[in-house]
Amino acid sequence: MISDEALGAFQVIVGEENVSREPAVLDTYAWQPTINDDPAKWVYRPVAVVLPGSTAEVQEVVKVCNKHGLKFKATTTGWGVYSGPTSDNVVQFDMRRMNKIIEIDEKNMYAVVEPYVTGAQLQAEAMKLGLNTHIIGAGPVCSPLASATSGWGVGWDCIYMSYSARNVLGVEWVLPDGELLYLGTPGSGSEWFCGDGPGPSLRGILRGTSGALGGHGVFTRCAIKLFNWPGPSELHTEGLLLDAQSEIPENIRFHMCFFPDRDKLADAVYEIGDAEIGYLATRVSPNVFLYGATPRLFRKLTRTSALRSLLSETLKWMFVIVLMGSSREEIEYQDAVVKKIVGDYKGFSLEMTEVPVIGPILPMNFLRVSAIPAIFRLGGLFTTALGRNETWDTQLDWAEVGEELRKRRIEQGEVLDDMGDNPFMALYENNTWSHCENIYQYDTRNEKHLEKLHTIFAESTIRAMEICQEPLSSFDWRVRKILGPLLYDYNYWQKQIAQSFGAEGAADTGMYCDEVDYDLSAGDPQLKEKLEKIIAEKK
Amino acid sequence: MALEDYKNDMEGCSRCSSCKWIPFNQVKSWRFAHNCPAISRYNLHAYSGSGKMIMGLSMLTGRSELNESIMDIIFTCQLCGACDTACKVYRDDIDLMDVLLELRTHCVEEGELVIEHMATIDALKRENNMLGEKKEARGDWADGLPVKDINQETVDVLFHAGCRYSYDQDSREALRGIVKLLVDSGVDVGIAGASETCCGGRAYKFGYQGEAENYADDMLSRVKSSGASLLVTPCADGYSAFNYLYPRMKKELPVEVLHISQYLERLLKNGEINLKNNVPRKVTYHDPCYLGRMGEPYLGDWQDSKLLRPMSMKRAGRNGVYDTPRDIIKQIPALELVEMERIREYSWCCGAGGGVWEAYPDFAVWTASERIEEALSTGADTLVTSCPWCLRVFREALAETEKDLRIMDISELFLESAGICSPATLKGGGAL
Repeated sequence: MISDEALGAFQVIVGEENVSREPAVLDTYAWQPTINDDPAKWVYRPVAVVLPGSTAEVQEVVKVCNKHGLKFKATTTGWGVYSGPTSDNVVQFDMRRMNKIIEIDEKNMYAVVEPYVTGAQLQAEAMKLGLNTHIIGAGPVCSPLASATSGWGVGWDCIYMSYSARNVLGVEWVLPDGELLYLGTPGSGSEWFCGDGPGPSLRGILRGTSGALGGHGVFTRCAIKLFNWPGPSELHTEGLLLDAQSEIPENIRFHMCFFPDRDKLADAVYEIGDAEIGYLATRVSPNVFLYGATPRLFRKLTRTSALRSLLSETLKWMFVIVLMGSSREEIEYQDAVVKKIVGDYKGFSLEMTEVPVIGPILPMNFLRVSAIPAIFRLGGLFTTALGRNETWDTQLDWAEVGEELRKRRIEQGEVLDDMGDNPFMALYENNTWSHCENIYQYDTRNEKHLEKLHTIFAESTIRAMEICQEPLSSFDWRVRKILGPLLYDYNYWQKQIAQSFGAEGAADTGMYCDEVDYDLSAGDPQLKEKLEKIIAEKK
Repeated sequence: MALEDYKNDMEGCSRCSSCKWIPFNQVKSWRFAHNCPAISRYNLHAYSGSGKMIMGLSMLTGRSELNESIMDIIFTCQLCGACDTACKVYRDDIDLMDVLLELRTHCVEEGELVIEHMATIDALKRENNMLGEKKEARGDWADGLPVKDINQETVDVLFHAGCRYSYDQDSREALRGIVKLLVDSGVDVGIAGASETCCGGRAYKFGYQGEAENYADDMLSRVKSSGASLLVTPCADGYSAFNYLYPRMKKELPVEVLHISQYLERLLKNGEINLKNNVPRKVTYHDPCYLGRMGEPYLGDWQDSKLLRPMSMKRAGRNGVYDTPRDIIKQIPALELVEMERIREYSWCCGAGGGVWEAYPDFAVWTASERIEEALSTGADTLVTSCPWCLRVFREALAETEKDLRIMDISELFLESAGICSPATLKGGGAL
């Protein structure tokens, strides 16, 4: 329970209407079912929620937290377990009132945004200027600032626009003690055009690969790199999702490529990367398309062996690449390159933009990543074993491992039947490296599904180690103590960073560097045994 | 039904926040990307569709208790259904709107009552209308019109004026003009006059389901005795109540129900009316929630898991009345229609619905002002709607500004072009 004095101090700073300690109101920040393997789905209830409206207000409320021994954690649209508190005594900062696009610098191709600007909003405004922004795989509802400063950031457009950690330029950062720090060029009083200075460049400390997920203080403004958008200022679209019919610019091509086997897909994609073409790219299973579009039909198909075989075997090695050219010559060149590479590797490509009805569904659903949340349609929720960034070949192996693990769970009724092959994959920067995480579909109202959820990550980690792959990265403080020794004691360094920036005791560092003992044997005794053996071998 | 019956819906919330935005494929700007007035104005997640569902789950599972503050948040909502539409872009297994309605009923049953709503319901019981006006005066708007009285004779078409239209002086000429137009066109139309009562739709939204059922029974008997095969209403709230709420309460009317815009379009198609006069205006059209996404006919109950529910059984807003008013507008000579960014099933609410007008008038006007800003951004000189509640709150909001914009009902626009009424006699048609 927060004291009246602390609450009153918050109210003075942000106004009474922007503070609450009502239990039911606080619970709206504690219900976090997505990527939460706790069957209860409730995380710690914050002691209060505060909505600051400016950087100065953030500094002030942080100082009040420090004075009263309260931790704090900022959140934006708040999708995912990492958005909520990880312990008692946490004040949730809902950044919703800080929702402005401060500027879009057309010439230098960047935008300065506040925390609550969404990917959809930024993209809509950028497109008017012939620019585009990276939208993460979680979709256009997410905050570009949150992703750029605080967590992951992979998406379908990474082949062209890289991922969030690479696109952050300048940052305005309220440290856990309330002090203000600027990174990149704004740190030297310049414009926001470069993340590495002149001015302090702490990009690695700021977030590293996965991000501190709220454990570092509060990021109140940041500059996001923008990219070329050779399409119209508005992609006129009728309809909402699967009924969407967009105008199709002449300079876009949408190829669904099918290959006869894994190796040919792997090699073809390497060549596509070498050719430096593509605007969006992903390897996705046709069954994922199908269950997102028609979940009821999909349930029937899973009971039909011939169709099951067609989707999960014959058409399994599918690769999607969207091309955009700045001229007719460029799009024709890219188109020809894709067709040649696909042909060289005995595949075939369906160019979808000319296909009636289906073609016009694709542009906005892919360019805005609006289609992604359709994966909710099969069962209502999903979780992921998370992932790490590796070479394309390694990631294809990892996807196959995921399929093997998933199929066993499907047989045992522990997750929904998605036909097994369900990785989320993306290529970074013309395939110099790539991302893969394995998705598990389940119904949060199904007790059997909930029962074994928490063993997915551990099982995946063990399997990775068994086949000599790197362990997966995770924000889960319960496995950090286990993962640390396997990953060069990374968490020792994260804790050092947190201490240096005064985070410990002030910011909610649960998702960043806190450690707790975790008994894996509660879920599966064999898992614990296997993991201990692997750790011993690794040491 | 009880809150417990919606546990699956509430537990299904992934807290993705999609309910706060228009469907993402339709986001065209930073400024007009939001869909929910409550979260847009008050910011705490609790005000969003998701937040209200989570609060419901929290109370249902004993984590928190209903109190005045929570009741206030539950009712600070127009029940416009924008969150429900946005949620259903992705979800088949959640009926967010049903949860919002049930939360209100839960408040009423638990004795957490909005004082202003209590007063309105008391007046409704006494005077049979939502405005507290004298029931004897309900039919005064039709004085001198050569229209049949259904209490005296049977008719083919029953015209239900609705509470707001019956008493709103600013809309009187338009209402009279429409009925005169129907009579002059040879339609065998009648009204209930002073014996017309509220449809009960707004009482239902206040959480008073019993009152709504009483008025549905009353309406049902009146329709049956009128001999009509068609009911026409200019009230979007009434249209939704008759088409959706009544069948849901198992009190389906045994007649076809049309909004006035649908009936006028029918008369136009049949060549019984012509739109001959130029109306040299640049107009933008506001989709009323209860003619649009919430105006969809009732689809029936679905008893199985909602995950298995076919699209045809999902109330997703796609079958609302969107094209009809636009088709009429496009037929008016010299008139230019320009669209706002938030239209059709992802339209921004006017602000007057769900009891907000009665209990939180500042919030209603704020919401309307947002829409007026959006209308002005199109360059339109006229904002057209087809609901008397929208009309009223837009006019109230506009009166608080220096903005130069005309607010018109689709009927007024129609009458002006049909030559039935002159612009000077219509509230929206005259000079500001």
